[in-house]
Amino acid sequence: MTSVANAVVPGQRLGHVQEYSAGPGTYSHQDFLYASVVGIKKIIEAQGELPTLTVQRENSQSAMPEIDAIVTCKVVRVNPRFAAVNIMVVGETPCKDDFQGIIRVQDVRATEKDKVKIYNSFRPGDIVRAQVISLGDARSYYLSTASNELGVIFGTSVAGGSLVPISWQEMQCTKTKAIELRKCAKPM
Amino acid sequence: MATPAFSFTPSTFQKLHPAEFFRRFTTEGVRPDGRLLDAFRPTTVHHGVISTANGSAMVRIGGTTVVCGVKAEVAEPKLDAPDQGYLVPNVELSPMCSSKFRPGPPSEQAQAVSEAINRVLKESKVLDLKDLCIEEGKAVWVLYVDAVCVAYDGNIFDAALAAIMAALKNVRIRKPTYQEGTIKVSGGSTATDENSFRLNLARAPLSATFAIFDTTLTILADPNVTEETISDGQISITLDETGLLCGVTKIGAASCSQSVMKDCVQSAKKRTLQLRGIMNQQ
Amino acid sequence: MATDRKRVAGPESSVAPLVEYPIDHQPWTPFTEKRHDSHRQPEDLRPIYLKTGLISEANGSAYIELEKTKLTCGVYGPRPVKRAGQGFSDRGTLNCEIKFATFSCVKRRGTMRDAQEKELSQILSQGLTPAVRLELFPKSNVDIYITVLESDGWGSCIAAAFTVASVALAHAGIEMLDLVAGCSASYIPTSIPSTSSSTTSEAPSEGATGSITPQIFMDADLEEEKFQQGSIVLAYMPSLNQTTHVLQSGKAEGAIISQSVEHCVEACNKIFAVMNHALLESIDQKTV
Repeated sequence: MTSVANAVVPGQRLGHVQEYSAGPGTYSHQDFLYASVVGIKKIIEAQGELPTLTVQRENSQSAMPEIDAIVTCKVVRVNPRFAAVNIMVVGETPCKDDFQGIIRVQDVRATEKDKVKIYNSFRPGDIVRAQVISLGDARSYYLSTASNELGVIFGTSVAGGSLVPISWQEMQCTKTKAIELRKCAKPM
Repeated sequence: MATPAFSFTPSTFQKLHPAEFFRRFTTEGVRPDGRLLDAFRPTTVHHGVISTANGSAMVRIGGTTVVCGVKAEVAEPKLDAPDQGYLVPNVELSPMCSSKFRPGPPSEQAQAVSEAINRVLKESKVLDLKDLCIEEGKAVWVLYVDAVCVAYDGNIFDAALAAIMAALKNVRIRKPTYQEGTIKVSGGSTATDENSFRLNLARAPLSATFAIFDTTLTILADPNVTEETISDGQISITLDETGLLCGVTKIGAASCSQSVMKDCVQSAKKRTLQLRGIMNQQ
Repeated sequence: MATDRKRVAGPESSVAPLVEYPIDHQPWTPFTEKRHDSHRQPEDLRPIYLKTGLISEANGSAYIELEKTKLTCGVYGPRPVKRAGQGFSDRGTLNCEIKFATFSCVKRRGTMRDAQEKELSQILSQGLTPAVRLELFPKSNVDIYITVLESDGWGSCIAAAFTVASVALAHAGIEMLDLVAGCSASYIPTSIPSTSSSTTSEAPSEGATGSITPQIFMDADLEEEKFQQGSIVLAYMPSLNQTTHVLQSGKAEGAIISQSVEHCVEACNKIFAVMNHALLESIDQKTV
């Protein structure tokens, strides 16, 4: 295979800093660029700039939340100040071990923040799509659902049926037709 | 269940709704890893892999790898059994083999598996402990049988029991001499039938494990780790070389009808026979 | 030990039987033969078998075999820090634990983690941390677990642990500055000290070896280590040409030590080729 010829391992020297700029999977040390992961070396040409050297990983590192990343998480606890969640998927990559996150009451929606009640937005067991806004404290990442496409995507009603969104803050049980309050995500 | 409005990659869907993801496969009669419902994973057995042990074996069942080593030491016998040695089996589920396990004392699962295997070995009288006597009332052999799980992908019971049986079969102990309170064995040259002995195993129990799903009434042979976590219960059937039952263990709250039980025993008979064939190849 | 209620209990205490050698038994000594394994020269390493990806549940894993020395390693992470009370940190942490299987040594080892294993774990994390780009995973943890299945030589076991752990880290896709290769060497006197003429397996006494210039044995096995007056383990990043850990014990003259470091660096470059091959092999399997 031709791609195997470009296969590199961490520490392999790839080029000179004057010829290339360092992309993902590489780092510069003194005057040279080195690979930092096992993978296939790629050169991305750019107009007017130095071409970027990247190494596309063969074995992707297990997913980790990063600032601005869209994550999918499950609500584990709620209290008046925040909803505690387990971050299960970052982007489209499932995490092997769940990371902890919290959605604070002021981060639930963008408008009328002072009227938000956590209990009318999330319930334990809901699956929520959210965005990472900061690395948070020692334990939890801080997440936000203040955007139309962010919020609850799956939920189970009190009666045990699944919930279908009917407006951006209401969901209906498929079994009993009862309406429950949630901060829903707008289906994409 | 899933609203079609949100689309996911299969791996995301599996993470969010493992049971539903799984159900969609089993209703088609296959499993996510491509096996049929009653298929066991490929199994290999290697004997004598550890030279520092008196006997050893490595068993792989799919992604589960267990290495078992037997160490023979000398101890005083119990007062109420002056002519009996000790057989001490333990299963180690280290944090290396799966993220399920944490460093520190053995997890509950490790304790349960060790105890279950201890019971099988003891109750079905695999080894006559009198064979381990050196000098009555003074000294006996202790066989420490430690099975270390190197990689965990479900069904540890089958793998550990097979590894332990294969290692016991592989054991060679130098013939001891008892002189004024000390036990001596000859060293140096390689072990032969002249200067060492093997264990006389009366029975060779091997097991087959099935996962039970209550809602769909599915029975899966040889569950892997994901199947284990979402199943309602598990049943392990232990049989000896003549096809006689040595033990049945069922864990979990799943209900299990008589006919299901019968099917499992039939399937276990076939499986243990096949496993025995693999073990005797070398 | 006796109070360990979480394992199947054996007798309160047990001992290994005394081993009695026949009169005509002649153990290996460095005075009669070059090496314990007669096919090896003093500078030769044992052949290395290295393979990645045996533990399906781990993010990365590797297995190394140097004839009888066998180690497996599983890497988990980056994953959230589980221990409470650890403050916010914008760098990740590397946690390394090594465990000897009870049957891995000539004498049976305890089931609990002993002081020696804790010390070794420390050494390994110190030697591996400089190679990992910890700044890329804030407030997360990378766990490296190593199990020694069989050990034939103390130094070579530590060296193999470095090698196998760094290959498993790379296999887990964790960003690293370089791989870390480990290599060991022992200083062994090769002529019989004038005071003792015994050919027993006991090591020559301390005082007698003082005047003899020892030979450097690379990657010594257990039989050879019995005669060593000192040893060195070197952890080295082959591409960056940097040393991450040196563990020297016993006595030797400065010249011998610097010479053995040179030998180890040379050997690490050979080991690097094997590591390189093992990692690229995992790519091959995927793309083909």
